[in-house]
Amino acid sequence: MTGPRVLFSRLRGLFGGTQRLDEEIAGHLEMLASEYERAGLPPHEARLRARREFGGVAQIREAYRDQRGLPFFDTLSQDLRYAFRQLRRTPGFAAAAVFTLALGVGANAAIYQVLDAVVFRTLPVRQPEQLVIANLTGNGKSVPFSYPVYREMAARQQVADGMFAASNAPLRQAILRTQGSVETVNAELVSGNYFDVLGVCARRGRCFTDADDRAAAPVAVISHAFWQRHFSGAPALGATLDINRAPVTIIGIMPAGFFGESAGSAPDVWLPMSMQPRVLPTDWLDAPYYSWLEVTARLKPGVTSNQTSSALTALYRQLPDLGSPDFHVELQPANQVLAELNAKTAHPLFILIGITAAVLLITCCNVANLLLGRATARTHEIGIRLALGAGRGRIIRHLLTESGLLCALGTVAAGALASWGSRALVKVEGWQLTLHPSWRVPGFIAAIAVLATLLFGLAPALAATRFDLLPALRSNRRSLGGGSPRQVFGKLLIVIQIAASLLLLTGAALLGRTLWNLQHQDFGFTRDNLLRVDLPVEFGPGMVARSNAQRPRLQERLQSLPGVRSVAISSCGPLSTWQRTGWVSTPERPFQKTDYVRYTYVAPGYFETLGIRTLAGRTFHPGDRAETPPVIVLSETAARTLFGRTNPVGRLVSFAKTFRAKDAAQVAGVVHDVRYSPRDPYALQIYFPFTQSTSPMTEAVIRTAQNPSALANTVRAAVHDMDSTLAVGDIASVQAQIDSGLVRERMLALLTACFGLLALVLTTVGVYGVIAYSVERRTQEIGIHLALGARRPQVAAMLLRELGVLVPVSLGIGLAATLAVSRLLGTLLYGVAPRDLTTLALSACLLAAVALIAAWLPARRASHLDPMNALRQE
Amino acid sequence: MDNRAEVPYGTLDLMVLKTLDTLSPSHGYGIARRIEQVAQGSLELNQGTIYPALLRLEQRGWISSKWGVSENNRRARFYSITASGRRQLTAEAENWSRTVAIVNRLLEGES
Repeated sequence: MTGPRVLFSRLRGLFGGTQRLDEEIAGHLEMLASEYERAGLPPHEARLRARREFGGVAQIREAYRDQRGLPFFDTLSQDLRYAFRQLRRTPGFAAAAVFTLALGVGANAAIYQVLDAVVFRTLPVRQPEQLVIANLTGNGKSVPFSYPVYREMAARQQVADGMFAASNAPLRQAILRTQGSVETVNAELVSGNYFDVLGVCARRGRCFTDADDRAAAPVAVISHAFWQRHFSGAPALGATLDINRAPVTIIGIMPAGFFGESAGSAPDVWLPMSMQPRVLPTDWLDAPYYSWLEVTARLKPGVTSNQTSSALTALYRQLPDLGSPDFHVELQPANQVLAELNAKTAHPLFILIGITAAVLLITCCNVANLLLGRATARTHEIGIRLALGAGRGRIIRHLLTESGLLCALGTVAAGALASWGSRALVKVEGWQLTLHPSWRVPGFIAAIAVLATLLFGLAPALAATRFDLLPALRSNRRSLGGGSPRQVFGKLLIVIQIAASLLLLTGAALLGRTLWNLQHQDFGFTRDNLLRVDLPVEFGPGMVARSNAQRPRLQERLQSLPGVRSVAISSCGPLSTWQRTGWVSTPERPFQKTDYVRYTYVAPGYFETLGIRTLAGRTFHPGDRAETPPVIVLSETAARTLFGRTNPVGRLVSFAKTFRAKDAAQVAGVVHDVRYSPRDPYALQIYFPFTQSTSPMTEAVIRTAQNPSALANTVRAAVHDMDSTLAVGDIASVQAQIDSGLVRERMLALLTACFGLLALVLTTVGVYGVIAYSVERRTQEIGIHLALGARRPQVAAMLLRELGVLVPVSLGIGLAATLAVSRLLGTLLYGVAPRDLTTLALSACLLAAVALIAAWLPARRASHLDPMNALRQE
Repeated sequence: MDNRAEVPYGTLDLMVLKTLDTLSPSHGYGIARRIEQVAQGSLELNQGTIYPALLRLEQRGWISSKWGVSENNRRARFYSITASGRRQLTAEAENWSRTVAIVNRLLEGES
């Protein structure tokens, strides 16, 4: 009960002076003196006597002040002032420590800030944590929903607070026509309750309702970004958009922060599900076996995800004619990162967190080593303070205040670094994220800072104050024994640093090799001077006929442009957003689950333009027409997989799970393997001639004479000039597109390389410090050795012997740690195993070499000491 | 050599409380004089030390204080015991008697 009252009164006492006490003391002395006067003493003597009786005024005042205020704060401000003075006196040390801390804490805070934005605030909707994505799972596979299944389940279910369906895939590149121009927009088909379940409202106009689901409603809601881009912010409600040749009226504009239900894509336009048959070639609304919808449900408060999924599974299995006992409904958080975390895949962000944590550890060790060296240099001072009666606790507190101050300065610098770093990271990763300042980020930085202070401040402070007073006071800091706690502690720090550095260096090397492998692998075609023109498919009736009519004219027109060497037109070809996968079988070999087969449809000149070498037989020629027998070209791996070592040319292949002679095609030739993207998983590649297939073209690839990007505008103008109804998407060089697909790998490799380098530098400094300290401690001993005739290399070797134990031990620990955690990199690596021995050995050698050089410098200096000077030195 | 006892550790608070119990309100000088009178010269009290003690007791809410005028017409701070101070005094006094009794018994046993 009295505790809070005392605290409150003491807090009040922190402010204000001691006037009250002074007045009371003055009164007291006066009364006492006048009493002595009454007893007959002369006034002067009476006052003296009163003073004596009263006791030391200064001491009383001191005791009073201790009682009145909070002595803790008094000492703190005292310590802080002292620490400031100490740091000002050694600016080099202060700068090194603050800089190291800024890097270590800043890197962590930057990564955390991004994680904070991703994990805690992804979706701009009401209570996003309640949203779950539903999947139909069975036989180890997950399939999306068909519209009839969704419709029945949404109508019957009562366990969730609503569920909606959405699909972005078919209309990601929908064609938007305005007078004279054709462009692509990212459109999403959504059920009428989409906005309602998400809990968002239009900024202007209205959103869809269930009524928009019933009959085909030619309406659309647009995003704020699209409104700004397309209408420049002018009134847009009531305007008409022509999307895939279907006119829709804009009824609502969403607020700026809303980007849809997933962080991955930001649609420009939302269309009601009832518009599906109007904007896509086939009606999927009544196709119970056509699975294309992502279904999201909102959990009811108090109902768990598991309860909801069991209820939905039961409901699904009971659906007449639709449900199947083979499947169950699985729910996962709509938050992408949470979902990825659940899926236990290696997310680069978590790898980065691990890396930065290791960097923080190294940072702390380094600063601890700096502080330890500093405490050693101050042995004499600390000894005096101990001798003068300062308690060990008081000195530790003082040393901790100093580390705290360093930490605070480092944290301020780290804060700036973090805000810059997190922005850069988001930009590089290309996430749709806004980084708002939140209390969690400073909270996290503060938490790390406190942890760092304890880690790097407490241990040196403990070590620095645990020693015998007498040798310290003899001012002979070289007389401290080799096994003193600070020596052991310093070595421990070095071991941690080297081990953690090995971990980081290996990680950096593995990710660097991954990037190199991805960039320098054999793509199977020549990448330089290759321009890719994206041709978005305009879904709708007659799209194949239209495409077939346009294709030869387009090829001819592009071919005639100056600077163009040759032109290849394909469907589902290099870097296409569309990939056609399928089955393949021969009379001897039915389709197997492990076959990753891709179909590409090509026009004449495709192989020549891309520079794909023909290995056997022939490629397509104009004689391959619709009415001639069907032919295909196989990739090398496909030919080997299907026919082994026998000659594949002239053999028959069908595209069903088991061979069917009636739709088989003959192998005309075999070409070199290709990769369309750096991590292309499709090994089995089958080419069809356009003339014998029904696929619309999706891209044109142009081999240019010079810099391909320079031709982009010419190409766009030429296509528009030839046929203004033909939509053209992105035009970019193939090399640039491959590179942009490797942004994440490059960022990871770059960051880990930077952190690895930082670790190497810090470790060098650490090793240098420990050996330099040891040299300083043993100067006299070295002098004796030299005076007695030891040769200089012998002396240097003697000093390096310490390291001879330290380095192998730390490398061993680092190696064990690396082997234990490197498999976490797993799927991020390419063309290199997580436990690649060469990489490990090289990293270890590099570290050992750097440590040796760092140690060699002070050792060499020591071996060149003048023995007489060394002996004379105290 | 002076054979006056120093103030035993921790007993000053008790003495001040007891004094204020009989003589409330009273200023610092009055309290110090009263303690010395009762001790009849057998206690060595640095009179100044009662001021930190008074502050401590006031912080705990056992005494209260206000400015007043002393007998020689000076402004002085007058302290009085509070209700919770009286309770504390009773408890402390019992505690003290018990301690003294134990020590006495121990000493008697020794001799």
